[in-house]
Amino acid sequence: MRLFFELAARSFRRTLTYRIATLAGLITNIFFGLIRSSVLVALFGQQSEVSGYTVTSIITYTGLSQALIAYLMLFGWYDLMDGVHTGEISTQLLKPLSLFRYWLAHDLGRAIAHLFLRGVSIMLIYELMFDLTYPKDLGHWLALLVSLFFAWWLSMVWRFLVNLAAFWSPNAQGFGRLLFFAANFFSGFMMPLGLFPDWLQTLCYLTPFPYMINVVIEIYLNIITGSELFFLLGLQLVWILGLSLISQFILTMGIRKLAIAGG
Amino acid sequence: MESIIRVDGLAKHFSVRKHYKGRFAPLKNFFTREASTVKAVDDLNFEINPGELVGYLGPNGAGKSTTLKMLTGLLVPSHGEVRVSGFNPWKERKAYVRHIGAVFGQRTTLWWDLPVVESLELLKYVYHIPEARFRENLSHFIDLLELSPFLGTPVRALSLGQRMRADLCAALLHDPRLLFLDEPTIGLDVVAKERIRDFIKYLNQERKTTVILTTHDLADVQKLCQRIMIIDQGKLLFDGGLERLQERFGGKRQLIVDFAEHYPDVHVAQAQLKDYQNRRAIYEFDRRELSASELIGQVSSQFQIQDLTVREPDIEATIRNIYEKQLLKVPET
Repeated sequence: MRLFFELAARSFRRTLTYRIATLAGLITNIFFGLIRSSVLVALFGQQSEVSGYTVTSIITYTGLSQALIAYLMLFGWYDLMDGVHTGEISTQLLKPLSLFRYWLAHDLGRAIAHLFLRGVSIMLIYELMFDLTYPKDLGHWLALLVSLFFAWWLSMVWRFLVNLAAFWSPNAQGFGRLLFFAANFFSGFMMPLGLFPDWLQTLCYLTPFPYMINVVIEIYLNIITGSELFFLLGLQLVWILGLSLISQFILTMGIRKLAIAGG
Repeated sequence: MESIIRVDGLAKHFSVRKHYKGRFAPLKNFFTREASTVKAVDDLNFEINPGELVGYLGPNGAGKSTTLKMLTGLLVPSHGEVRVSGFNPWKERKAYVRHIGAVFGQRTTLWWDLPVVESLELLKYVYHIPEARFRENLSHFIDLLELSPFLGTPVRALSLGQRMRADLCAALLHDPRLLFLDEPTIGLDVVAKERIRDFIKYLNQERKTTVILTTHDLADVQKLCQRIMIIDQGKLLFDGGLERLQERFGGKRQLIVDFAEHYPDVHVAQAQLKDYQNRRAIYEFDRRELSASELIGQVSSQFQIQDLTVREPDIEATIRNIYEKQLLKVPET
């Protein structure tokens, strides 16, 4: 546990060293947030509410989904994949640690740094520009924190799983890009799932992806409440455990197949 | 003495896709999946005892790194057995790597964007090193490797020599009994190489660490290794001491003679005249057939000599001799 903490702390400090990149990313996220919110607001036209979303909550939605980009690395994460392709992974395998837990700790440090640098910061800037919705009470704030943490955990396990493709293909980036794109569609990142037709919503909720984004946002917007809230937090945990087991199994097979390049 | 490394019939075969050439080759390459097998390592057998310092040599692509990766548990062998300190490296990877140190010269284990000392401190937790032991080792290695000037510098800002020293330190903080070094002096300047060599020598002699190193720099071999293994095309070609290698495969010795006056013909019976210009002749002779003094006797009995030198074959020439002429040609199986 101490090792996990020390790794995460280093990864946190490492992320803080990229100042210019953080600023550039922040500006881009806000810029696209503004574009997305104006498009969605235009879709509302004269209506004040669409599928349970008000103009205020749809603007808050764009802010939240932009704020999750860096925290959850929504546009893709290829560190493990690159490590396999360049052979850098050998330096991790030569340490007495589990590759899975190593990357989990590593990503946790990064995610916490990004949550503040490119998450909370976006919401603060949004607050200066718009009227926003907030979780209605302390209980909801707590539930939000828990589901945010679970969302990161689930997203990390999912990204880890995608990256394992590198053990089988020397060019797995394209495969990864496709999967990350699909995830963004099914997760409610591009559009709130509430705006999808019912059959598509049902389909989405058969995948782990809404539990990374849509659930978090709907808890924030007070759309998910009461016993449904606990049920969905539980499902987040179920997906985390399920995908963790699968990735452990595939990782074991991958390491056996590994041919480390170079040197 | 119980051996620390035992390798029996070790082999690693890679399957490589066939590539066609010619007009329709791209199509053919796309649709066929014919593969051929490359034997990167083929039937290796050796033992290494605790405290040895072994140089593992071979031309590029000979199978050195593949062997090292199997010994460190990074690659799963196709055939054969490896036991290192009682472990099967790839089956018991996590338990096993606790007992070894490894530096792969072209890679770093340090965190690229963080100060060196942060990476070193992390190892205390990675290996669960007791605090007192960790401090003692760290300060000792900082002195020996002269790390203090750049402990606070991010790794990406280090020179190659500094990075290599920091990586060596990182590989040793947990007191491994066995150290694998893959080209530890690659790309370093003369001074940096010398410093690394001194350090390796210290580890082996003072700390009794068993060291296995691969290198293309034969000065490393000459200064460090008691035992040499040469591998080519996946097979072990030579295993023994440096002297035995010189004895068996050393090129010829040379006798360089400056004559007092010009002679039209300076040939002598047992040595070969390699060059003769401006009253200087170079004879080549084999130590097994002729001693230097016999040859000098022969030459001086026929001609007036002004000056002479005997030149020993250097290890570089010896190894080149082995690689190029395939003196240790692999027996057909």
